[in-house]
Amino acid sequence: MRQPSLTTRRVAAATVGLVVAAGAAACGPKDSDAKASGGDAAPHRGGTLTVLNANPQSDFDPARLYTSGGGNVPSLVFRTLTTRNRANGAAGAKVVPDLATDTGRPSKDATVWTYTLKKGLKFEDGTPITSADIKYGIERSFAPELSGGAPYLRDWLTGAADYQGPYKDKKGLSAIGTPDARTLVFHLNKPEGEFPYLATQTQFAPVPKAKDDGTKYEEHPVSSGPYKVVSNQNDGERIILARNPHWSAATDTQRKAYPDRIDVRSGLDSSVINQRLSASQGADAASVTTDTNLGPAELARVTGDKNLASRVGTGHFGYTDYIAFNPKVKPFDNPKVREAIAYAVDRSSVVNAAGGSALAEPATTFLPDQKSFGHTPYDPFPAGTSGDPAKAKALLARAGYKNGLTVTLTHSNSKDFETSPEIATAIQDALKKAGITVRLQGLESNDYSDTTQSVKSEPGFFLAHWGADWPSGGPFLAPIFDGRQIVKDGANFNSAQLNDPSVNDEIDAINKLTDLKAAAARWGALDKKIGEQALTVPLFHPVYKRLYGKDIRNVVISDWTGVLDISQVAVK
Amino acid sequence: MSEAILAAEVPGTDTTVPGTSGARQFWRRLRTQRAALVAAAVVALLVLVALAAPLLTALEGQDPTTYHPSLIDSARGGVPIGTLGGISGEHWLGVEPQTGRDLFARLVYGARVSLGVALAATVIQVALGVTVGVAAALGNRWVDQILSRVTEIIVALPLMIMALALLAIVPPGFPRPVLVSLVIGLVAWGGIAKITRAHALGLKNLDYVSAARLSGWSGFHIARRELLPGLAAPVITYAALAAPVNIAIEAALSFLGVGIKPPTPSWGQMLSSADVWYQAAPQYLLLPSGALFVTVLALTLLGDGVRTALDPRAASRLRVGTGRRAERAADRADGASGDRTAASGARTGASGDREEAGA
Repeated sequence: MRQPSLTTRRVAAATVGLVVAAGAAACGPKDSDAKASGGDAAPHRGGTLTVLNANPQSDFDPARLYTSGGGNVPSLVFRTLTTRNRANGAAGAKVVPDLATDTGRPSKDATVWTYTLKKGLKFEDGTPITSADIKYGIERSFAPELSGGAPYLRDWLTGAADYQGPYKDKKGLSAIGTPDARTLVFHLNKPEGEFPYLATQTQFAPVPKAKDDGTKYEEHPVSSGPYKVVSNQNDGERIILARNPHWSAATDTQRKAYPDRIDVRSGLDSSVINQRLSASQGADAASVTTDTNLGPAELARVTGDKNLASRVGTGHFGYTDYIAFNPKVKPFDNPKVREAIAYAVDRSSVVNAAGGSALAEPATTFLPDQKSFGHTPYDPFPAGTSGDPAKAKALLARAGYKNGLTVTLTHSNSKDFETSPEIATAIQDALKKAGITVRLQGLESNDYSDTTQSVKSEPGFFLAHWGADWPSGGPFLAPIFDGRQIVKDGANFNSAQLNDPSVNDEIDAINKLTDLKAAAARWGALDKKIGEQALTVPLFHPVYKRLYGKDIRNVVISDWTGVLDISQVAVK
Repeated sequence: MSEAILAAEVPGTDTTVPGTSGARQFWRRLRTQRAALVAAAVVALLVLVALAAPLLTALEGQDPTTYHPSLIDSARGGVPIGTLGGISGEHWLGVEPQTGRDLFARLVYGARVSLGVALAATVIQVALGVTVGVAAALGNRWVDQILSRVTEIIVALPLMIMALALLAIVPPGFPRPVLVSLVIGLVAWGGIAKITRAHALGLKNLDYVSAARLSGWSGFHIARRELLPGLAAPVITYAALAAPVNIAIEAALSFLGVGIKPPTPSWGQMLSSADVWYQAAPQYLLLPSGALFVTVLALTLLGDGVRTALDPRAASRLRVGTGRRAERAADRADGASGDRTAASGARTGASGDREEAGA
């Protein structure tokens, strides 16, 4: 939904996390699985954990952060009504209570959601956290000067569309009721069974009105989590966190908070980060990264070294890289042409271009390969691992292109192994075998997102990717295929400009479900139905491999974020 | 060298570029510089390799675009299987990580792009620069003012940024090597125009040019018959030094992803994807960077040698303390023509220096 840019979204997702798994004793050490930490005894409390990141943690204000599940570093400071389950793998894709006693009690049609706060919750200065603080935190996020968060609250809360925030509009949002200090009632303008997922975002963190100084609040936001901000330099380039004495583990089953201090250093080159983590010298031994993956060449080097290979965390974030078509551009208006391309694509060469089988898994479904999304395996255009050029040729002949055709594939020049020239060249090579000549048009990365996300300039055939705001089918399918989410002037992600009433109605119907399992099954079925139209060609789901320092213990990587969760990490 | 030939036909133009005996002298002076000779041999070899690329790859039994997924280790990021990046009898220089494409084939086909684009861009630069420079020198005050200001603007424009902008807006259907040559040629002709104008202004006031003007010859005729022969030396020198710069520019543009498009291999493009592989597959980075290094160095040395051979002052310096007295004596015995060249060359050289100081 009108998210800023996918890159931002990915970063946001990458910065997610900190929770501790409820059954944390189980998430454990010593295990050939790279996800496990390799520690022996109970995790050690104390020490300083360093986070080496490429992207600064800018605008460190709960109103302004765009996160999936509350973010990684942000979640150390901001507790929210609900949060993600801090557990390895699929269990980590569940939403669990945080400040609230449960994940929310919906009304029958899922338009009213009620939450009760736990007892004994305190800010870093010892004052109690009340429902009014949470309401105020949400209201702030509507202020134009504190923009940056996801658009869901404005879209979902009754009468919120034109709300300008508490500075201009003292009356506040009538859609959020606070009948007493521990109760919150949210009134939505339509059924939203996935509201508990939304309540994991930092906008649901409490903000004490007395301490709010507008845009300056980000320099020292008042903590509700296990750490408070000691200093924040250069808008998040370096953030130092220390223990918040008023946080109590008794009210927080998710965050483990083993280290005493956390030093977040950003603005580093990704190759420098990986070099420092592999050398693991001095303070770098107790370092992790939350936003820098191992690239193909780095992986080749790391896997050749046993010591390094044991310090790689593997994660899966709900994410799909795909070919997008704009059926308004010829010849992609012809479904046979799109299907021919779907048959011709050689997923093994695309996977190799993306970094090989360790960094990418071939995809035939648009939904990520995870249960929480409702993933239903399907492959309407079975091309095997290396494509079916004969079948593609036959389809093209039927479409009237007996002698082949020439098309232009738009890609970006960024070195991301997603929309970059390597992937485009692999597709070009595979399509050549089916008689399709592909010309490549490379654009600079900013230009690329502007061009492909504008209805006016959108090319017919380009590389795209999508990551979810939370691990469910809704935020994955709706922005891409819901006809009412075509944005005429602004960032549009419905590349196919699909506006099919039956798809729109099904999206509405699923949003009414509060049983997330039942909803997941229907998202999967919807994905399959849309997939048969060949509006996209799913290529692969990326796999995240990240190094961590040699003194790092208790590594937990959930399928929600795909990244190691800082709130679980212990330093030897 | 067509200008030099022209010079031979036109009597009275030998004040700047010597006639047939001058060409002989040029070769003799070039020969005395061993570095330039080695460079010339290397350049000749590179040209040969580029021309024979299809033959060479056929001999190897490979082509530059075929993927060989079985030769790379997909689980390890796509690193080539085998020693030294998969070097074998079938793949003489190994294969490319992540694709398994043959590196030898990509390298020799890349030479075609590098040399071809550099040559074409240099020709465009020379043609444009000489035309503008001569027109400015021969034209009236206004023509000179306008052309000189335009030239200064072109010189002042940041070359890479201009090239990036031009390359980004052209539709993908346009043949890329032609486009890259055009763009480099069109944004980098300012220097040669300034040098040409300065030299032409010097020549314009010589008696034989005045005589031609007084006899009612047209400006075009004067430019062609009287000025161009005299401009040969500085223009050839400049072109010889511009060629390696053009190779580097093409590589940089392709490195940035706006130059030559895949699947056509180019050294800059190879470098762009190879830079992250310097530890895991070093030969992948070393091959294109080594090829670029050798080519640019050889062309620069050759260009330098040409400049020295064409610049009589430098040529006479060459003879000091080199221990080749016999040869030098032979050259001296060559006679008066050499001395004359030296004298006029000094004049030309002086105006060139002035121009450089001004730029």
